Amino acid sequence: MNRPSWVGTTTFVLALAGLGVAAYLTIVHYVSPKLLVCNASGVVNCEQVTTSRESMFFGIPVALLGLIWFVMMALLCSPRAWRSGSRRIEVARMGVVVAGMAFVLWLVYAELYRIRAICLWCTAVHLIAFGLFVLVLLYGRATAPEG
Amino acid sequence: MTNRTAQKKKSQTQTKGKGSGAKRKPSRRRDRPGFAAFAIGAVVLVVLGMVGFSLYNHVKTPSTPGTSASVRVVREVTSVPPATLDSVGAGSGVSAPKALPPGTPPIESGGKPLVLYVGAEYCPYCAAERWATVVALSRFGDFSGLGLTTSSSTDIFPSTRTLTFHGSTYTSDLIVFEGVETQSNKLSATGSYESLDTPTAEQQQLFSTYNSGGGIPFLLIGNKYVVSGSSFQPDVLQGKSWQEIASALSDPSSEIARQVLGAANTITAAICTLTNGQPSNVCTSSGVTAAASTLPPAS
Repeated sequence: MNRPSWVGTTTFVLALAGLGVAAYLTIVHYVSPKLLVCNASGVVNCEQVTTSRESMFFGIPVALLGLIWFVMMALLCSPRAWRSGSRRIEVARMGVVVAGMAFVLWLVYAELYRIRAICLWCTAVHLIAFGLFVLVLLYGRATAPEG
Repeated sequence: MTNRTAQKKKSQTQTKGKGSGAKRKPSRRRDRPGFAAFAIGAVVLVVLGMVGFSLYNHVKTPSTPGTSASVRVVREVTSVPPATLDSVGAGSGVSAPKALPPGTPPIESGGKPLVLYVGAEYCPYCAAERWATVVALSRFGDFSGLGLTTSSSTDIFPSTRTLTFHGSTYTSDLIVFEGVETQSNKLSATGSYESLDTPTAEQQQLFSTYNSGGGIPFLLIGNKYVVSGSSFQPDVLQGKSWQEIASALSDPSSEIARQVLGAANTITAAICTLTNGQPSNVCTSSGVTAAASTLPPAS
């Protein structure tokens, strides 16, 4: 079974979309949480999430880590990267996406159980990361698995 | 490399391998879609499990001693937006904590700086101080089991609405907080208020050592600062419901916010001297920085 032609384009578009949101969250982190277009009270509370203790990971803003991750994914999922069929790129793409998904799970846990608030922008990033995870896992190899 | 070339290479590699290995490879490849589906399914299940358990807890909480209203009040008090705290800064009518003398030995629990509160539910000054203390501590960790109560109905500032540390727990990576409510707001047959929490020997020792007057509320902030009495006058809370107080905390122009959040920023600044300025986004925020300038120099 060959990889569908839309997979490369879709993953690249997803990575670029994630890059945009992550860039927005990074700017908000460094400039002011007031720039966030999001509810700031109740369970959905972006500001509470983006200014929480969990918004830093070993002193690095999580938003910046997200930005770096999406830059890597955009490079690894670029049309050129998909066309190359390089084994190294396959392994890197798979490794990066699995590591990213693991981190997303930790962030979802932190939102639900430690911060007790949900950030819609972060959720958008998590969904995009999950989309990339699914596509890369299913179609990430140069030779798609046999059914 | 095209798919066909890749398959060809794979096929060549398999032909070169030993017999048994060559036979196993195709079956491993057939397993891969199953593995991918398993991994994706596992992620979905983990997320659904976390969301489901969180929702279950959310629904379950109101049936425990608190009500849905109390849950809402606690949520608002423990999640005051940083922008609101920054707008208030040092606030107004707030007394700064007193610095402990140089040479005060470290006051820790489990290797972390200890913040100790000793008070009682009947005490109206404790009622005022708890609002600010909860707001401040929520910036360093998480409370669970916070309840609502009032000060005595027969004392000065009667029935001041407040929170209670009795039955609550607090977790933080940076500090340890111990809240002791020695008595309730209910009078017993003997005419004294009913007993609640009994201080441990260590807590009693700290209370006696650093609170020569013996009054409450008493808030010991590690070996750096101490609050004896409330940081602001309870009259600002008079006649207000819990929800009215909690809601006022999101309006930086309200008198309640100026006093409660001003005191919270001051306590936060004092705690930041124990945590080496961590979390940095809290300790370097404009509200905490403004409040820090009102603190006497720490030892």
